[in-house]
Amino acid sequence: MNKQPRTAVILCTCSGIISEKIDWDAVQAQLAEHPDKPVVTTDELACGAENLEKLAAWLKEHQPERVVVAACSPREHERTFRGLLASAGINPYYLQMINVREQVAWVTADPGEATRKAARLIGAALKRVRHHQPLVERHVPVRTDVAVIGAGPAGIQAALTLARAGRRVTLIEKEPFFGGMPVRFEELFPNLECGPCLLEPGMGELLHGPESEHIELLTLTEVTEVKGSFGNWQLSLRQQPRYVNPELCIGCMVCAAVCPERRENPWNCGGELAAVDGPFVGALPNLPHVDAARCLKLNGQECGACLAECPVEGALDFGDTIRDSVVEAGAIIVATGAEELPVAPPAFAGKDNVFSAYSFERLLAMTGPSGGELVKGDGAAPASLAIVQCAGSFDDAVTYCSGTCCQAALKYAHIAAAKQEGLTVTRLVREQVVAGVNAARLFSHDHSQVVRYGGLGDLTVAETDRGRVIVCGSNGAEVPADMIVLCGPTVPGQGTTQTARLLELGVDDAGFIAPIHALSGSFLSPLKGVYLAGTCRGPGDIREAFASGTAAAGVALSELVEGRDLTVDPQVAVVAAEQCAGCKSCIRVCPYKAISWDDATKTADISDILCRGCGTCVAVCPAGAITAQGFSRAMLRAEIEGVLS
Amino acid sequence: MSCRTMPNVAPHPAAEMVAASAPGEVRIVAFLCNWCSYAGADKTGMNQLPVPAEVSVVRVMCSGRVEPTLILETFQKGADGVMVLACHPGDCHYKEGNLRAFCRAELLERMMPQLGVDPARFYFDYVSAAEAEKFSQVTNDFVAAVRGLAGTDSGR
Ligand code: SF4
Ligand code: SF4
Repeated sequence: MNKQPRTAVILCTCSGIISEKIDWDAVQAQLAEHPDKPVVTTDELACGAENLEKLAAWLKEHQPERVVVAACSPREHERTFRGLLASAGINPYYLQMINVREQVAWVTADPGEATRKAARLIGAALKRVRHHQPLVERHVPVRTDVAVIGAGPAGIQAALTLARAGRRVTLIEKEPFFGGMPVRFEELFPNLECGPCLLEPGMGELLHGPESEHIELLTLTEVTEVKGSFGNWQLSLRQQPRYVNPELCIGCMVCAAVCPERRENPWNCGGELAAVDGPFVGALPNLPHVDAARCLKLNGQECGACLAECPVEGALDFGDTIRDSVVEAGAIIVATGAEELPVAPPAFAGKDNVFSAYSFERLLAMTGPSGGELVKGDGAAPASLAIVQCAGSFDDAVTYCSGTCCQAALKYAHIAAAKQEGLTVTRLVREQVVAGVNAARLFSHDHSQVVRYGGLGDLTVAETDRGRVIVCGSNGAEVPADMIVLCGPTVPGQGTTQTARLLELGVDDAGFIAPIHALSGSFLSPLKGVYLAGTCRGPGDIREAFASGTAAAGVALSELVEGRDLTVDPQVAVVAAEQCAGCKSCIRVCPYKAISWDDATKTADISDILCRGCGTCVAVCPAGAITAQGFSRAMLRAEIEGVLS
Repeated sequence: MSCRTMPNVAPHPAAEMVAASAPGEVRIVAFLCNWCSYAGADKTGMNQLPVPAEVSVVRVMCSGRVEPTLILETFQKGADGVMVLACHPGDCHYKEGNLRAFCRAELLERMMPQLGVDPARFYFDYVSAAEAEKFSQVTNDFVAAVRGLAGTDSGR
């Protein structure tokens, strides 16, 4: 740019705070000699409401094309002065602020030096503003409905919170029923409340209450692809056939009673199910589903026992097929959860009467494989129970403490002892963490023996004439162990891993979805419009799931508001397509996945909605094809030249 | 992240760079990221701690924005020293721009001798929004160090 645009310079004294060090009269005199001939004014307190009005009038009178404000930190008042420019009819991005208060007046002892430095910085700003471009904020309409992936307590809570605010929600669950883990736990830590009783009112509300109008629950459904960005996501869904029509089925389960085929019940970790059955009594929605791999009819054999007995015509639907669909949403809440480490430590693997925490929960549950009776595989009652805590935590594979296993172990000890008088209960611990007031109550009433062990390598299982024991190598302890429960670490659920991959979200060392900030942004993913709830963020308890479900819904409500468009900050990076060499370096480095590859033009393309203007891609582009608007190379060069001249 | 994603190194006429430093006071350009080091520099002011007047701050959104060529250009335009101050590892507002900046800084320092610029004229460090004292310290130390280098026309 050859012609110097008419520039106005506003020098703020900050009520004398700045002018105490910087001699604005001297600077003004110097600017009068400046070849660019800027118009200059000194103001007592430029950010003051009345002063802003006066300054706006002054700007209107002089009609400058660029404005330089020498005042405080742009971190404090850049917005204020952009507003000033707008009110004077000047594009707000024609502003350059110089921080003469925090970074000159307050850090420079000598007034002469401070004044010279201020003048130098103003000179640099005069050079920089020549290259400023008029930028315009873009407004994009956003959808206000939300897709929630995962219908455990966190997802349910998020969906209900949103629906109560009148938002439309698609709640996506890969299992044939919903409620997540705790709905399968009979009693919950720390007050031994009934899990289904805690969750079912909300689940009922979701299925039949006034909010149900706003919520579409899709069971047996997985997300296969996600496209779009904040405000306008498209999720491709694939729903497996249930072979049961939810509109017609009355949930009488006559079909299950007459079905001749049996399969193992994966949800109970034991016991059997018919080929058409519900996972356990009370699972919601109260519908059976057909295991296509086991159903005789679906495998070409003569059957149809269920069809013959079903009291409702059409409730069983063997013509059901996979359904693919696309749902559109403004935001996505990921509530895909966690699971227990699926492998048993070698010393215990393959042994009888060894339970994982989850399978023990099911054993204790009335709806579980033994109807809630504490029995071994042979149907006999155990004389002793050994609960191994930290079973896999603090290890090479899982280095962390999940923080919930001690809770579970205390609970098991209590419930098992109550179920069976005279049961010897021992907790084998490496570390114990039972924080919180409520937890302390259960802890102080715990009557189990506690044996410390050093590491899993320390433990072996042996048969003795007194029955089975766990031998603790380091201290020689022999723990009676008719029945063994392994409280293993919590690891990311399959759905969490899959969703992280689909959305290209980063994960932490353990594979949980990494939030934008561990402390202040734990419900936010780095991707705008994708929020996190429950244990996809890391191990947590039910309280946490409810809280984070509410929080994620709150964020969605505050970011997606009916009638409020998304304002896109124009200070983003843009690719000059004709200069792009097609190396894709930028795509690799963008922390926000804002850059996509346009296969038609073979160039990179940046979404202004996703870009946050960090400029990392600018620095990496070997072709110099990317410009950070507001911080372009030309602007920075001019500024550098300015401070050095 | 990998340190190998730095193709952005154009050759520069090295010899003129230092020669370009003018007589008089040393001139230092400090690239500060908006969220950590620039905020730290603000805090230095609020705490009334000294920063040498020779240091001119150029604000960028992220230290990851500062490519090696920009730094070399800054030398070429006459800077006696260049600082890049980033958020601490793990604190980057943009997740990992600071680590890219660090990788580039390492590479740049290795290249500098070949380009005829003393690597001592370049300084990379982490300064958080809270580290007022550190900002004061590193700017003062760096200015003193650059003043002491041969070829710098300081103190005349
Ligand atoms: S880094 Fe530059 S040249 Fe490479 S793909 Fe991106 S815009 Fe194109
Ligand atoms: S400026 Fe940052 S956020 Fe924007 S596209 Fe480039 S790397 Fe991504």
